[in-house]
Amino acid sequence: MLINLKNAVKKYGSGETLVYALDHAELTLNEGEVCVVLGPSGSGKSTLLNMLGGLDALDEGELTVGGRKVTGLSQEQRTDYRREDVGFVFQFYNLIPDLTVEENIEVVADISDKPLPMDEVLHALDIEKYRRRFPKELSGGQQQRVAIARAMIKNPRLLLCDELTGALDTKSSGQALQFVEKMNNQFGTTMVIITHNEAIAGMADRIVRLKDGRICENRGNERKIPAAELVL
Amino acid sequence: MKLNRRYLRSIKENRSFYFASTVLTVVTLLLYFLFNIAGNAILTFSQEFYERNKREDAHFSAYMEIPQEELSELADTYGITLEKQRYINIETDGVTARIFDRTQTVDLYEITQGRDVAEDDEIVLSEGYAVENGVKVGDGMKIGRKKYTVSGFMQRPDYLYMLESEDDSYKNISTFYLCYMTDREFETLGDTGCQYLVRYHPDSDVMGFRKAVHERYYMRSYSAAEENPRITMVEQQAQMFIGMAYVLLCILPLVAVVLISIIISRKVKSEQRMIGTLSALGYKKGRLMLHYAGFAAIPGLVGGILTAVISMAAAQPMSEMGLQDYEPMRVLGRLNPLNALLGVVIPTLLYVAAALLSVRKLLKKDTVLLLNGNADGGKKKGKRLLAGRQISFRTKFALRSLLGNPLRSLVVLLGIFLGCFIMLLGQGFFDSIDHMGSAAAKEMGSFEHQYVLNEMLTENPYGGEAMLASAVEDAGGSRLSVIGTADSNPYLNFRDKDGNSVSLKEGYYITSLAQLTFGWQAGDQVTVYNPLSLEKKEIRIAGIIQNNVQKSILTTKALAAELTGLEENSFNCIVSDRALSIPEAKIAQESRRSDITDQAKTMTKQMNFLLQMMIGLGMIICIAAVYVAVNMLVTESRGNISMLKVLGYRDSQINKILLRIHHVLLPIGILLSVPCVYAAAHAFFLWMVEFGVMLMDTYIAPKSYLISILLTAGCYFGSLWLLRRKVKKVDMIESLKDNRE
Repeated sequence: MLINLKNAVKKYGSGETLVYALDHAELTLNEGEVCVVLGPSGSGKSTLLNMLGGLDALDEGELTVGGRKVTGLSQEQRTDYRREDVGFVFQFYNLIPDLTVEENIEVVADISDKPLPMDEVLHALDIEKYRRRFPKELSGGQQQRVAIARAMIKNPRLLLCDELTGALDTKSSGQALQFVEKMNNQFGTTMVIITHNEAIAGMADRIVRLKDGRICENRGNERKIPAAELVL
Repeated sequence: MKLNRRYLRSIKENRSFYFASTVLTVVTLLLYFLFNIAGNAILTFSQEFYERNKREDAHFSAYMEIPQEELSELADTYGITLEKQRYINIETDGVTARIFDRTQTVDLYEITQGRDVAEDDEIVLSEGYAVENGVKVGDGMKIGRKKYTVSGFMQRPDYLYMLESEDDSYKNISTFYLCYMTDREFETLGDTGCQYLVRYHPDSDVMGFRKAVHERYYMRSYSAAEENPRITMVEQQAQMFIGMAYVLLCILPLVAVVLISIIISRKVKSEQRMIGTLSALGYKKGRLMLHYAGFAAIPGLVGGILTAVISMAAAQPMSEMGLQDYEPMRVLGRLNPLNALLGVVIPTLLYVAAALLSVRKLLKKDTVLLLNGNADGGKKKGKRLLAGRQISFRTKFALRSLLGNPLRSLVVLLGIFLGCFIMLLGQGFFDSIDHMGSAAAKEMGSFEHQYVLNEMLTENPYGGEAMLASAVEDAGGSRLSVIGTADSNPYLNFRDKDGNSVSLKEGYYITSLAQLTFGWQAGDQVTVYNPLSLEKKEIRIAGIIQNNVQKSILTTKALAAELTGLEENSFNCIVSDRALSIPEAKIAQESRRSDITDQAKTMTKQMNFLLQMMIGLGMIICIAAVYVAVNMLVTESRGNISMLKVLGYRDSQINKILLRIHHVLLPIGILLSVPCVYAAAHAFFLWMVEFGVMLMDTYIAPKSYLISILLTAGCYFGSLWLLRRKVKKVDMIESLKDNRE
């Protein structure tokens, strides 16, 4: 088991404005699993991702990732956790505009203990020919591939994707999902994909559904299909 | 307008920007204001004081006494005011009292504390001496054998700078004072000396008068107010302050205003999404421009008003600060309302103009681009720099950020430059004056003692080297000394500007200071006048001798005697490397070479506060400018910072990537400031020559370089240290949310 989230609570505001972003949520994920988290806006998907990624701390409950107890870690220790174990891909790519594709990926390789070879990652994501281009010179889909490459260069145990396809057209979305799947197959990376898009759930090993901070559905996907066959 | 509620919120959210911009506005304007106020306060006081007390335009003495009725006749004939004044110097316990009889029309005295004399045993004395020596009204003072009661203190317009002799180089308020007593008591003092005080009027025939006096009464000495250091020193002090104000005005406020304008335009650009949204919502161009002009006006208005308030509070102490050398002048340091208004209006207008231009430029762009935040896109300079090179991404990021944001980099550079400039300029003034002390002593010669005699001798220079010291005037009445000496004088070594030795046998040489003042060149035929007889002489300038201390004609004794109409082989000045046994009665003035060094040291001691103030302000400017610019960088890089944090970078690593971007500008800014300091200081010293001050060489001591560099670097790194907190405060989740929006 890679992830073990127990009785997780995250609250925002106080008094009348108190909101439970996570309301006693429980989740376990095995190494190499692909988990798709679904739910409407404000259901707590992003909060769940922030907690799993060590971007924020739980108010209550416990989170263990790969045997490391993330709950209770100091700010600095959470930074180390993100650096060593977690890769992030965001809806709007969040690439550094003043750096080329290669340099954006180097940003992560530079602080990783054992980064994957740059050429291997560029090749895997089919962005070798863009290596000296700047983010603004690429399409959305290409930028998202760079973001995936940046996350994968350190070969993280856990890849967190926040609305991976949210800013992409159907074709680019399909390609991005196929690359993520490829990474999962090639490197055995555990993945949590947060999305509005129900169709993406088809490629998941586990489907989790959130509503008002509560996990209302958590089941294995017995009819998992390849990303290439998803109808987005 | 609902939109205007954003002003307060913007101030709250951008506290550091508004604070630093306001501080920059205040500090740079304040320097100009305070020096200008101080200079003008002295000028206004002295002009009013001179007018009130009918300051002389000249004084003279003659070998023959001028009878009272002939004084009136001279006054009527030449359209002047002329009055005789008697005086006597009485030395008591090593202190000399110069007692004057009272005049009615020229050089009146003014009681500054206590009251005028009423009884024969009362005196009033010069206030500077009283303050220096702790004399109070009502105290007893002995003059000669008689004791008097001090009934009050006084000042007179031709003695605001208290020189015992006009040829002295430094004030004496410790062993010399002026004194008045009742007319009856004055008559009991015995033999008195006599001088004549003159005030000229627009229709006065000055030359005719002077010639007539010399012909009829044989003039012994003539001293115009413009050549009298007791009077000119006051104006020199005022002009020094005003000059400093203009040197600073040309550099500091202009540059600071440009700097803040740059910051404001970038600030407006960072609001492009908001501008796009408002534009999409139907806000008209004019209304949007007005709205953003309001943001820009804040630092100008607040800064201008604060400057006016601080200037008003600091005007009086600042005006009094430079007056320790003078008789206690009641200057009134006041901020001119027009200046105060301009101080508010000019920066505000410029900041508003910068904002309006930026908004106008942005509004010309496509609204969709504005909404996406890409309106100022375009190709950044240096963006492709080092792409593909095997260099760390950190270096590439730093260089591209530096070159891709030239205005931001310019702000940092200007901040470093200005900070170092002002600190180095302050120390440069200080060092130059200090250095002038030793340089001037060296340029005057290698003698240690100089005796000016009160009679002409033709033999026995008492073991010293004989010289002839006299003076001539140019056509405009400006005086320059004439020094006649033997080529073999071991204490004087004349050299031209290339360092070559010069022989005086060739004719009349002038010093480089005289060349600068009168514009004469080697080979020129010039006309000079005997200051007593006004006899005209034509001389040819044989060459220029490097000497920026004295305004002199240097020649052989024989030629000097010929020029000044004195007997050949006569002399009235003796120089020596040791003290000579010359009878006291023959000595008019005795000075040591070290006097000028001591004078410079006293001046630098008094300038210390001014220096500290300039260093302090330089530091504030440097910190504020660097802080504003790097703060801008941190704010603009929030997205990158949060992403680096998400990716697992520690705060210290992010600081290293982000905050070191401008390090390369630190040495550039410092190096740029050095020639500018030399240029500004030299321009200032040249300008001061017009007011009769010697030309100082700009000199900056190695210690001053070190201090300025260390302080500038300290301010730069201090600003970055302050900004580390800001980097730490960037919230990953908030920034990610912003990106999502």
